Amino acid sequence: MRQIYIIALNTFREGVRNRVFASLIAFAVCLLFLTLAVSQASLHEEVRLVKDMGLFLCSTFSSLICIFIGVNLVYKEVERKTIYTILPKPIYRWQFLLGKYFGIGVTMAVQVAIMGLVLFGQFLALDAEFGLLMVKAIWLIYVEVMVVGAVALFFSSFSTPFLSGLLTLGVFVVGRFGDRIATMRLSEDTNAATQADPFVAFLKAAAAAAPDLSQFNVTAYVVYESSLPFSYVYHATAAGFAYAGVVLVLASMAFARRDFT
Amino acid sequence: MHTGPVLTLDDLHKSFDLGFLGSMPFIGSAFGGLGIKGIGHRVDALRGLSLAVEPGEIFGFLGPNGAGKTTAIKMLMGLIRPTRGSGTLLGRPLGDRDARNRLGYLPEQPYFYEHLAPLEFLDFYGGLFPMTAGERRKRALALIDRVGLTHAINRPIRKFSKGMVQRIGIAQALINDPELVVLDEPMSGLDPLGRKEVRDLIYELRTKGKTVFFSSHILQDVEQISDRVAIIVKGKLHRIGPVAELLESPTAGVEVVLRAVSEAALPSLSGLATAAVSLQGEWRYHLTATDSVDGFIRCALELGASVVSVIPHRRSLEEIFVEEASRA
Ligand SMILES: Nc1ncnc2c1ncn2[C@@H]1O[C@H](COP(=O)(O)OP(=O)(O)O)[C@@H](O)[C@H]1O
Ligand SMILES: [Mg+2]
Repeated sequence: MRQIYIIALNTFREGVRNRVFASLIAFAVCLLFLTLAVSQASLHEEVRLVKDMGLFLCSTFSSLICIFIGVNLVYKEVERKTIYTILPKPIYRWQFLLGKYFGIGVTMAVQVAIMGLVLFGQFLALDAEFGLLMVKAIWLIYVEVMVVGAVALFFSSFSTPFLSGLLTLGVFVVGRFGDRIATMRLSEDTNAATQADPFVAFLKAAAAAAPDLSQFNVTAYVVYESSLPFSYVYHATAAGFAYAGVVLVLASMAFARRDFT
Repeated sequence: MHTGPVLTLDDLHKSFDLGFLGSMPFIGSAFGGLGIKGIGHRVDALRGLSLAVEPGEIFGFLGPNGAGKTTAIKMLMGLIRPTRGSGTLLGRPLGDRDARNRLGYLPEQPYFYEHLAPLEFLDFYGGLFPMTAGERRKRALALIDRVGLTHAINRPIRKFSKGMVQRIGIAQALINDPELVVLDEPMSGLDPLGRKEVRDLIYELRTKGKTVFFSSHILQDVEQISDRVAIIVKGKLHRIGPVAELLESPTAGVEVVLRAVSEAALPSLSGLATAAVSLQGEWRYHLTATDSVDGFIRCALELGASVVSVIPHRRSLEEIFVEEASRA
């Protein structure tokens, strides 16, 4: 257990130190403020716009930053050869990977919290009620980010940051809009040839394998102020972490087999 | 504690795929890692390497560049998996975690987290072992002192010279007070003083009852401090034994250097020796055990030549090295 903690702590320190991370957060925060400026132009819709745009920017940027950090984590350790001195120590490879994951977890918690605080500030400025609903929405964004982070770590456990980044981005897009993509394509043409089309087959498989990220998006509830039961949050959280868990097991298996030459 | 060899390698083979996919960084290893073989040719880095290291010895692992030393060491460390064959470390199979508790390792040309200063750096590595914070700190301070980095204790590794990185790397390898220390090219890139410091450190480890296994392509470094040496060429063991034994040779003879040898004397002298070389007005004759040294010298003097020197021929490790390399 201690080994996992040590790796996680080191990963967190490293992540916070990362200049790209800092500049991306700064950029996201700027965009959030921009939302506020735009919303003040359209008088009646301002609160709705801040909620809608604010949550969208927060979730999208957090996921993108997480992909960026996640795909580079293992690669950097190999590239800088630091992994050669870590893995021969009494640590299992899966512990190393899990430490990395928890490190991302803490880094992302800080980053989502910062964005949440900025949103809170905007609500104050607009004299709108932040409320439990927003806390739930931001928590679910965090769960989504952790699912995406697990996927990033999975791909990077056996391929380059560039390829891992592309693949994770693919999973992210399919995860968010996958159901729509698949139905769109299939409804155009339902004959046998299309069904056998490898691309369609691939899309279907991808949509089946990708996590359902749309369940973490509760913006509609927030904007229309409908009630969001706690059980929904529990279920989405459990589903998200279960998915991340399975992905991490697969990542550990790929990582365990890998040669570090 | 276990008895028997501290480290064994048994018929180790390792092939690297250099096919279209295999040659691409990471993608190749990814496919390899998933059990898919690349297309194209392979490099056989190890071709059946076997050896055993006994407790308490300084063992030199010697071979030219590309011989497979680093590959073998990485296999011992569980960083890469053998294509075929097996090995043991401190009586356990390769990759065993308990064995790694009692192991120290310095990689070839090490790089470390550059933003850390020595104390944080060693604390990070110490944290991977079952040591308390107090133990870690005590041990880290002692090691920093031992490798002579006390003056740089607040400096990040980024600002270290090559020699200093090597020294903090050695400290890292010793943080857990290991029974077996494996050092991959610990002297490479160091100046003569740095090499001597590493040698002294290796000696000191043996005094404390540790086993040291270290690789080098530099003969002198191995020759001077090793109890036993293994010579590895092209992924295979060529010789193993005490340095003195490897230097002895049944064919070792005497080298006689002559000056003022007349043209007329050449044929008869050559007839009495095994080999002859002319160099800057001198003639060097190599006489093996079957040649008569007395007879040769008498003949040379009678023919008007003068004897410059008579050197009993002890093979240098270098010669063995060249010989083995050309035979492989
Ligand atoms: N990742 C790799 N891919 C392909 N070939 C490799 C790889 N690593 C090492 N080799 C080859 O294996 C051989 C042995 O290399 P190495 O173990 O580094 O030798 P040494 O440490 O004795 O200099 C060399 O021919 C080298 O080119
Ligand atoms: Mg080497």
